[in-house]
Amino acid sequence: MDNPFSIIIDKENLSPTIRIQGEVDIHTCPELNQKLNILISEGHKTLILNLEKVHYIDSTGLGIIAHAARNIQPDNGKLVLISSKPQIKKLIEMSGLKDKNIRLFETESSALESLVS
Amino acid sequence: MSEVNKVSITIPSSSEFVGVVRLALSGIATRMNFSVEEIEDIKIAISEACTNAVQHAYPQEVGTIEITCLIHEDKLEIEVSDTGIGFHPQVLGSPEQKEKSEKKLGLGLGLTFIKNLMDDANVQSELGKGTTIRMAKRRPTDVLS
Repeated sequence: MDNPFSIIIDKENLSPTIRIQGEVDIHTCPELNQKLNILISEGHKTLILNLEKVHYIDSTGLGIIAHAARNIQPDNGKLVLISSKPQIKKLIEMSGLKDKNIRLFETESSALESLVS
Repeated sequence: MSEVNKVSITIPSSSEFVGVVRLALSGIATRMNFSVEEIEDIKIAISEACTNAVQHAYPQEVGTIEITCLIHEDKLEIEVSDTGIGFHPQVLGSPEQKEKSEKKLGLGLGLTFIKNLMDDANVQSELGKGTTIRMAKRRPTDVLS
């Protein structure tokens, strides 16, 4: 496979950035779920999920994101998603995820600017 | 009467094979001249149907999932069948289903996605006999001869 699934966690900024690559589906989402749970248990209030290199996600992957958003919410936490891909934006709209404590930006830099302002 | 080509795939009800079906359907849809956006819609719909079978059909064992594609001149029909435990149709959209989905960290939106992304979709299920999800996407009119 030329674009295998991978998750890279960057903790250089105030909020960790999780850069995901590949396909997020029933097969790969347990790994994503585990990594998000660890970050939430470490007490981070905001997580940035960069989906720019995700070329496929379905309701299973979005379910993991919704679950993480629920877990982080009691501490007024939020999830920030990065994607400019029309298909991913369409699914996020369709699933109603943006109504929760989830925000969507097209670039990582615009998300970081919004978080510091 | 126009020719209908049939492509059948049988996979074990294991998560790693859902991507294989997605790839195969992507190839079929590309050959049928669907647009990039339509191909993405078909990939999601077929994955949702297969994921449903992987998660719910065979709780005690690995069973099989059969995917049948009928390539018509004007549409692509897809059928995803299992011979698993099945469910009562009234369960769909019920609080019980929502609870089950949440336990599996899902959104319970698989069927909603299929219905929104395809032109036709329906589910038939019988307790103890299995479930069949049928869906269809009409071919772009500008590529029809």
